[in-house]
Amino acid sequence: MTKAPTVSLIDIATYLPENRVPAEWYTSQSDVDNDMRDNPMFTPPEYRHHAAIDESNVDMLERATAGLIDRHGRDVIAGVDILLTHSQMPDLPIVGAGGELASRLGMNPQVILDVHNGGCASFVYMVSLARRLLMSGAGRTAMIACSATAAGKVFEQEQVRKLAQASVPGDGAGVGLLTLSDTSPVLDVESRFYGQNAKDMTLETDPPRRWWQAGSGEGHVGFNEGKIMKVLSRGNRMVPEVVQAVCSRIGVKPNDLDLLVTNQPNRLLLRNWDEALELPRERHRDTFNQCGNLFAVGIPVSLEAAIDDGQVKAGDIVMMAGFAHAGDFAGAAAIRWGGRP
Amino acid sequence: MTLPALQDIATHAASNGVIRIETAPREKSTPIILDMMRSVYPHDQVFGRYCTVNDYIDCPPDELFEYLSDTRSLEEWTYSLRGFEETDEPDLWLAWDKLGSETEIYTRTVANPRARTVDYHCAWDQGKHLWMIYLMRVVDAQVVLDKPGSVVLWTNCHHPFYDTNPYPEAAPAERPVWVGDFWEMFGAGHELELKNLKAIAEYRHHNGLPITPAWMRDAKLTRNEMSGIS
Repeated sequence: MTKAPTVSLIDIATYLPENRVPAEWYTSQSDVDNDMRDNPMFTPPEYRHHAAIDESNVDMLERATAGLIDRHGRDVIAGVDILLTHSQMPDLPIVGAGGELASRLGMNPQVILDVHNGGCASFVYMVSLARRLLMSGAGRTAMIACSATAAGKVFEQEQVRKLAQASVPGDGAGVGLLTLSDTSPVLDVESRFYGQNAKDMTLETDPPRRWWQAGSGEGHVGFNEGKIMKVLSRGNRMVPEVVQAVCSRIGVKPNDLDLLVTNQPNRLLLRNWDEALELPRERHRDTFNQCGNLFAVGIPVSLEAAIDDGQVKAGDIVMMAGFAHAGDFAGAAAIRWGGRP
Repeated sequence: MTLPALQDIATHAASNGVIRIETAPREKSTPIILDMMRSVYPHDQVFGRYCTVNDYIDCPPDELFEYLSDTRSLEEWTYSLRGFEETDEPDLWLAWDKLGSETEIYTRTVANPRARTVDYHCAWDQGKHLWMIYLMRVVDAQVVLDKPGSVVLWTNCHHPFYDTNPYPEAAPAERPVWVGDFWEMFGAGHELELKNLKAIAEYRHHNGLPITPAWMRDAKLTRNEMSGIS
């Protein structure tokens, strides 16, 4: 039996839109759901970035990829065999970002896959998918890409920006480059689906309508107290579980991880995960205060922050983990970071 | 009609940590609740002052209650209590706790069939002051879980004597341990014993055996006959 080939996440790059919005922009708006304003799920970060109204997922992903092109060359990116994308909110519900992105980057991949599930943990899920595809012989190089654009679009709307939930999201994009190599190996991945929770992710308008129907109400995420409790308790449980599963297989105790990066929905979950994993707060890198809830993009943005300021060094064990939507998916992936070229 | 709740201490209650919807509406109480909801809770917070374990047992609640009400059931389902004998004092039983070498444990069982509560009042070394209290309650699972069977609730409170032996003179010479040395493992230990109880009672129930075994019933009859009760 031949040994399965090793797949490495050799580099990542990210992009944050120029428009940096302070918390006051929201808190000065009149409150329409005052009862949610003090809810810790919606405690505003100091800043978040907003994508411009005409800035598409593809625009942002292309801008994020610039970092990879700088370090690895345009030819390496153009030669990518597998392209996976995840758009928090697709530019058009019918067509994903993958095709246009490949075209802009001069790629001609064997596989383009727009990954619609995986939510805030989709970076982890795409690591898993890309790894499986590369191990099965589908190519030598894969690029995974995720983007969040709702903050500057949905949450800037006149009615929606008055809601407590509006101050939390932030926009950004992150990309990762995976190759068949052992320089920055993906050690193990855990993916768990909880389909029974999928229906708890809802969009709402007032007055109610289907999202594709015309109407006056502006769409936003459907939250109530019961749903908040459910999402919080599911997140509390799921993320430590998948991290512990990966830790146990790679033989590393959770509190020996050199770095943890997760999705960053709010400060409560970040605190609770550290407590559950007995991990010192400083080894769980987040960018919540500067970027808000970046959804899927939280993992690459926080990882890049740790790479940029030297918190994570070559040889360190990095755990990426998160959960999606109202708890319909959780994933964790561990790498031994190989350092930047 | 509004009841005059807390009317007598209204000022005191509002300023002394009583959280009710009138003074702490949802937007005030929700942050408190969410802050209390953690992924994990420190061992001491869960088991420090009170040690509670619960489980479902698939056997009829009245039969399980009857079994637990007999002090000698402890001979079967506990980890380390052995050799129960009735003392000269009625309903006070003496056994050995094999956790502490040569350690006598005294037990008086107080059972209430209507509430199905079984409280084991125990102490190491002496039978005058039974301060180790095992509070158990058997609940009809049909009512709480919508299925036949029993739910057993079991709590011990961290009596200060667990920290310091109040009757050192009663202890065997040179015994190296005190029952309170094991308080930190009571959660795990009691869970283990509750699983024993579950395994024993479910096996008997599933195999058509009485939950209270013949030897326990027969001994009870004999005792009652001797004392002229039957």
